[in-house]
Amino acid sequence: MKTKATEVKAGDLEKKPGRSVPELAALSLFLVALIVYFSWASEYFLGVENWINILSAVSVAGIIAVPGTMLLIAAQVDLSVGSAAAFTGTIAGIWINSSGVPLGILFGIIIGIIVGVLNGLLITRLHVNSLITTLGTLAIFRGLSYIIGGGQTVMVPDLSYLGLARPFLNLPLAVIVFVVVCIAGVLVMKYTTFGRSLYVIGANPAAARLVGIRTPRVILICFIISGVSTALAGLILTSQLTAASPMAANGLELSVITAIVLGGASLNGGRGTISGTILGLLIIGVLNNGLVLLNVDTFWQQVARGTLLIIAVSFDQLRERWGIKHG
Amino acid sequence: MLATDSALLTASAIRKSFGGVEVLHGVDLHLARGEVLALLGENGAGKSTLVKILAGDYVADSGSVSSGDKEYSTLDPIQSRALGIRMIFQELSDAPLLTVAENISMGSWASKGGIVSWSKMHERANSALAMLGIEIDSSRLVGTLRIGERQLVEIARAISDNAQVLILDEPTAALSSAETDKLFEVINALRTRGVGMIYITHRLDEVGIIADRVQVLRDGSQSLIADAKKASRLELVKAMIGHEISNQAHPEAGMHSGETLLEVSQLSLGNIFSDISFNLRAGEVLALYGKVGSGAEEVGETIFGLHPERTGTLTLNQSAFTPKNPIDAIRAFIGFLPADRQRLGAFMVRPVAENLAVPSWPRYAARGIITKVKENDAYMRWSELLKIKSRNDPEQPIATLSGGNQQKVLLSRWFECDAKILVLIEPTRGVDVGARRDIYTTLRESAKKNKIGILITTSDHEEVIQVADRVVVMSRGKKVAEYEGKNIDSSKIIQTASE
Repeated sequence: MKTKATEVKAGDLEKKPGRSVPELAALSLFLVALIVYFSWASEYFLGVENWINILSAVSVAGIIAVPGTMLLIAAQVDLSVGSAAAFTGTIAGIWINSSGVPLGILFGIIIGIIVGVLNGLLITRLHVNSLITTLGTLAIFRGLSYIIGGGQTVMVPDLSYLGLARPFLNLPLAVIVFVVVCIAGVLVMKYTTFGRSLYVIGANPAAARLVGIRTPRVILICFIISGVSTALAGLILTSQLTAASPMAANGLELSVITAIVLGGASLNGGRGTISGTILGLLIIGVLNNGLVLLNVDTFWQQVARGTLLIIAVSFDQLRERWGIKHG
Repeated sequence: MLATDSALLTASAIRKSFGGVEVLHGVDLHLARGEVLALLGENGAGKSTLVKILAGDYVADSGSVSSGDKEYSTLDPIQSRALGIRMIFQELSDAPLLTVAENISMGSWASKGGIVSWSKMHERANSALAMLGIEIDSSRLVGTLRIGERQLVEIARAISDNAQVLILDEPTAALSSAETDKLFEVINALRTRGVGMIYITHRLDEVGIIADRVQVLRDGSQSLIADAKKASRLELVKAMIGHEISNQAHPEAGMHSGETLLEVSQLSLGNIFSDISFNLRAGEVLALYGKVGSGAEEVGETIFGLHPERTGTLTLNQSAFTPKNPIDAIRAFIGFLPADRQRLGAFMVRPVAENLAVPSWPRYAARGIITKVKENDAYMRWSELLKIKSRNDPEQPIATLSGGNQQKVLLSRWFECDAKILVLIEPTRGVDVGARRDIYTTLRESAKKNKIGILITTSDHEEVIQVADRVVVMSRGKKVAEYEGKNIDSSKIIQTASE
């Protein structure tokens, strides 16, 4: 009894802790159920073209959601992605019209890097919470998009062939970029010290510092990746519409976060997977597409999406409570 | 001074068990009006259990508490408050973003029909402060006050709420000597007003200065009740640790020490510690022993680069070492375990293998590419060596392990990345007895075998006896003694640390 007797025995070694496998199993099951239902309800649902539609519809959000997942794993969030996509898209559009496609795309990506550096430096140097910082830059980039475009949609006819291109396996360019980003994301999170550091930072930033993780640098890089992804998304949107609109991607950040949270990433950081986010994206894509095929009113589609998000977040909370008991 | 007619609070034959283990074996406590009773005892002696029973936080299994003509066999927090018992905790429970006046009135705001009366609130706060001779502006935010002042505000709050019995839990642990003097003035002011105080402390020198009587608990029984002015320090130490505790240091202590790894010279940090000098040698476990607030912890943190504003010199392998952050220290092969494992040590939701491997990632990874194979192997290897009890699943979250096993994982963390120096803050805090023995064995063996230097900072004298080859004793930010091998002795180090 001479001990510090306050020790709480956290270790019930027999208990199966919450792990990623069952979470993804539940999600996959949900996706399969949706697919089964919609293929029964609509004869068009299982067609190849329809699936290409589904993938195209989620690719813009998906390209952003992959780095978004990385950020959330590190307990960071980037709300500026939608307006940054419009911002980079508008600048790139103007530049393409004046200097040609390759230079314009390059410039758009450079703007994306600058966007990421700006967000990242504000958060890591000024220590402003990422939610608040990017809520601010969300407004700034949206405003700047209107200013730069003079409040008008900028027509970018030169980019139309990219929007229509199906260079590989008859897949649209947007889908190919999405798939490449996904594969890169999975590999980075699994096999690089950078990706692994994100988990550690999200799980316990103070402890990460004491084991020599360069947290500010890692977070900055992650925001830069997010910025580049918004530039890619902005370019794809511009190519699809053959126009850069300052209103483009309005509210995109919400679809992105919905997919990430649905995919099982913890809002507290430290947990989540890219494959989970991909499942989340597919669930949203299939649900939207299926509801359209069933002629469900678009307003009800929004209700369905919102409901889905709440269910996903409650899952996250239940997992926190039932899965791992924090000692 | 022991006038029983002025009895304020009497506890008789208090017994209390937790999970079948009795921690209080029928303890009495008597407090007179205007009396300061110093309550002493080692960690786990039952002091906090006893005062928590008085505060109504725990219910005694048997025994009674009486005050005036009222007698209670069980006391709940509301009854305890009604008796005027208030506890001032070591961890302040104030609201830093509110003003002094608001803090003092907290919970019983002066109001008229639901509208708070600020003028009344300030009036009340100012009179409580003035009564105790405390000069603090009642409109200041509590968060802007120094720690000692915040404590005084808490005392003022208790007094304005009609406290008759004040329980002070190691009130000077975090105070400077000037703040301590001020606190003693306030205690004397309270004494003249008839408030009885139970003063828990580890500092034996304070007993004679501030207390009237002293009561020592050991292993749940009272081992001494004496006049505070007459009790000698030796008497108190003996009553605290008893005679059955082994005073014998590790028999082969000091035999394996090799060349100097780290030379600490005149290290100082603000008013936390000053002029600390010692050497850490290869193959030894060196303990930096001191009570809470002695600065020992901060010396350890400074070596790990957590206080770059420090002055004095560190010499590592014959060259100057100026760590500005943990990364500098890790590069110099220094490993570090913080005292607060939950908050600063472990990545609770992450797998055990990852928890173990993070600082070794740079070594595992070629150009930033890493696979889990190496870290899983490392986990299996160390889990066998250190007898880590788990499911033997490297993917198991560390939160599912017991405290002792978590600590073993975190310790392996630094063995795995070949640290040459380990700085361990309170390495067995919250660790059960079995795992504690394993950890001591591991520390001694790896120091010897791998010729690494291990510096532990601890406030547990038994830990020093069991693990250290050498001990540097600190008190109030100063090095007060150094003992080696067979010369390490419980009562000696406790006494010097209490100076």
